[in-house]
Amino acid sequence: MNSRERLQAALEHRQPDRVPVDFGATFVTGIHVSALTRLRRRVLGEPDYRVRVVEPYQMLGEVDDRLREALGIDVIGALGRKSIFGTESKDWKPFTMFDGTECLMSGDFNMTPAPDGGWYMHPEGDTSAPASGHMAPGGYFFNAIVRQDPIDEAKLDPADNTEEFGLFDEADLAYYRSKVDWFAQRSGTGSVLITPGTAFGDIALVPAPWMKHPKGIRDVTEWYISTQARRDYVWAVFERQCEVALKNLGTLIEIFGDSIQVALITGTDFGTQRGPFIAPKAYRDLYLPFHKQVNDFVHRHSSWKTFIHSCGSVYRLIPDFIAAGFDILNPVQCSAADMDAVRLKREFGRDIVFWGGGVDTQKTMAFGTPDEVYREVRERIDVFNRDGGFVYNAIHNIQGNTPVENVEALFRAIRESAV
Amino acid sequence: MQDLKPLHDAILNGDAQTARSVTEKAIADGIKAMDLVNTAMVPAMAEVGRRFECEDFFVPDLLLAARAMKSALEPLKPLLAAGDVPRAGRVVIGTVKGDLHEIGKNLVAAMLEGSGFEVFDLGVDVSPERFAKEACERKADIVAMSALLTTTMGSMRTTIESLKAAGIRDRVKVLIGGAPISQKYADDIGADGFADNAVSAVSLARQVLIRAA
Repeated sequence: MNSRERLQAALEHRQPDRVPVDFGATFVTGIHVSALTRLRRRVLGEPDYRVRVVEPYQMLGEVDDRLREALGIDVIGALGRKSIFGTESKDWKPFTMFDGTECLMSGDFNMTPAPDGGWYMHPEGDTSAPASGHMAPGGYFFNAIVRQDPIDEAKLDPADNTEEFGLFDEADLAYYRSKVDWFAQRSGTGSVLITPGTAFGDIALVPAPWMKHPKGIRDVTEWYISTQARRDYVWAVFERQCEVALKNLGTLIEIFGDSIQVALITGTDFGTQRGPFIAPKAYRDLYLPFHKQVNDFVHRHSSWKTFIHSCGSVYRLIPDFIAAGFDILNPVQCSAADMDAVRLKREFGRDIVFWGGGVDTQKTMAFGTPDEVYREVRERIDVFNRDGGFVYNAIHNIQGNTPVENVEALFRAIRESAV
Repeated sequence: MQDLKPLHDAILNGDAQTARSVTEKAIADGIKAMDLVNTAMVPAMAEVGRRFECEDFFVPDLLLAARAMKSALEPLKPLLAAGDVPRAGRVVIGTVKGDLHEIGKNLVAAMLEGSGFEVFDLGVDVSPERFAKEACERKADIVAMSALLTTTMGSMRTTIESLKAAGIRDRVKVLIGGAPISQKYADDIGADGFADNAVSAVSLARQVLIRAA
C-alpha cells in the first residue's frame, strides 16, 4: 500500500498494512517549530536548516517532504491561503525563538517588541494597526489580544460577526489551484484540505486576529456567554457563515475533486478535561444543524471524509457528532474524563475514525521518559488500529518543550508496531 | 427582613442587571451586607456549584452566574472593605508567569468570591516574586495558581520556592489547577491541593483552611 491507499483503508474501516501516520497535515496534528527543529536535526542532520513556521499562531513547523519520507509520515495537508494573522506563507525571513530555535517566518510576519519583553503581532503584519497577538517573554506561541468595543445590546448586529466570511476572491482561487499541483506532485500521499469558514464558533477565531478593526462580539468570555444568553444572535451568525461556506465548499470540490481524501471542517472545542463544555442539548440545538448541512453537502458532492477536532472529554457528544455526519474525530483526548481508548474503540469504532489519541502530549510526551512514551504509543496502536478506523497522531500538536528523545521514541514505537 | 430570593435567582439565572439593582435597593433599604452575602449570594453560588456537579449547568452557565454575582458584589465592596462581614479566607490568585490564559482562573476567583472569600486577582503572567510579594502584603491564607500550558506549569514550582524564600510558605496554603495539572503534579511540587474545576476549588479552599485551623 502507498500512503494514500493506507489512509483510504483506514478511513473505510479496513485494516491497512500498517497504521497510517499524520504529523503536520493540519493545524491540530502538527509539531511545534522548536520540537520539530530538534527532531529534524536528529533524523536528517543539516544543522543549518531552518524550519518554516507554517502556522504562526501555535508556531507549528513545516514537515517538509524529506522529513516526512524519512519518518514514514503518510498525510499532507493544505491550510488556508492566509494565517490567523492574515499573513501568507511566502518570502521567508529568519526569526529566533526565545528558546534559541532559529526558524523562518513569512516575509509579512511583522512583529513589534511588547513592553513585557515578549512580542506583539499585528493584523496582516501591519505594525501601524493595534496588535492582535502576544507572545509572552520566554513563550512558545501567540495568544490572541482581545479587541472588544463596549457592547450595546440594542445595537448588536450579527453582520458585525460575519464580516470575515466572504466568497473566494481571485487570489484565493489561484492559491487553491496551485495546491492542486502541489498535491498532484505527491499523488501517492494521503491528503487533507482545511476548509475555510466551516468552524462554527471556534473560540480561536472569535477575536479575529487577522482583522484590523473587528466588530461584534470578539471577547472570549462574552462569546461563550452569548452561546447561552444571546443564542438568536449566534444562530444568525452561523446561518450567514454557513451560507457562504457551502458556496465556497462547492468551489473547492470543483477545484480538487477526488485528489482530496479528507476535509477538516471544524476545530471548535466542545470538551473540558472533565466533561462536555456545553450541554449536549446545546450542541444539538445550536451547532449540529450547521454541521449536518456542511457534512451532507460534502458527502453529496464529493468522496471526501469529514473531520471534526474537539479537545477534551466529548464521550457524550460523540453520538451527536456521528449523527451530524462526521466521519473522523480528532484529537481523541484519552487523558480526559470518560475518554478511555478501549471503550471509545468498542463503542464508536465502527462509526467514526479516530485520528489521534496516540499519546498524551500534556503529560507523557512533555514530561515522561522515552520508555513511557514508547509503551503508551504501542498500547494505543494496539487498541485503535484493529480493523482500520485509525490514523496515528498524538493528542494534539507536539509542544515546543517536548524532549527530542520522546519524539524519537514515538516514531520508533510506530515503526516497530508495523513489524 | 426583605425577601432576598430575587437576588439569589438573578445570580442563578445569570441576570447581571437584576442582580445589581436588587442589591442596590437592598442596601438602600438598610439590609446588612453580611445578610446579603450569607443569605443570598453564598447559597446562590452553592446552588450553581450543585447544578454544575450534577451537569445541569455547564461552563457558559458558570460564566453567566459568575458575572451576575460579581455585578451584585460591586455595590457591596465598600461595605465589605469596612470589615463588617466575616470572610471565609483571603486568597491571592493568578495565572502563572508566561501564561496568558484567564477564563479558568477568573471562574475560580468568582466562585471563591461568591462563596465568601476575599479574593485578590493578580491577573495573568504573574511572576513567582509577585505572587510572594502580594501574598505577604495581603496576608493571604491561600495562594491559588492556574496554568494552561505544559510550557508554563513549571512556574508553579518556582512560585512555591519564592514563597519559601519570602518566609511565608508555612503560613499560606498553595492550591493549583489548569488543564495539564494533576494531583500527582501537586504532590510532586509540594502544593497543598489541586482542583480540576471551579466548583471543587471552593470546597478545596474551605478544606485546607479547616485543616490548617
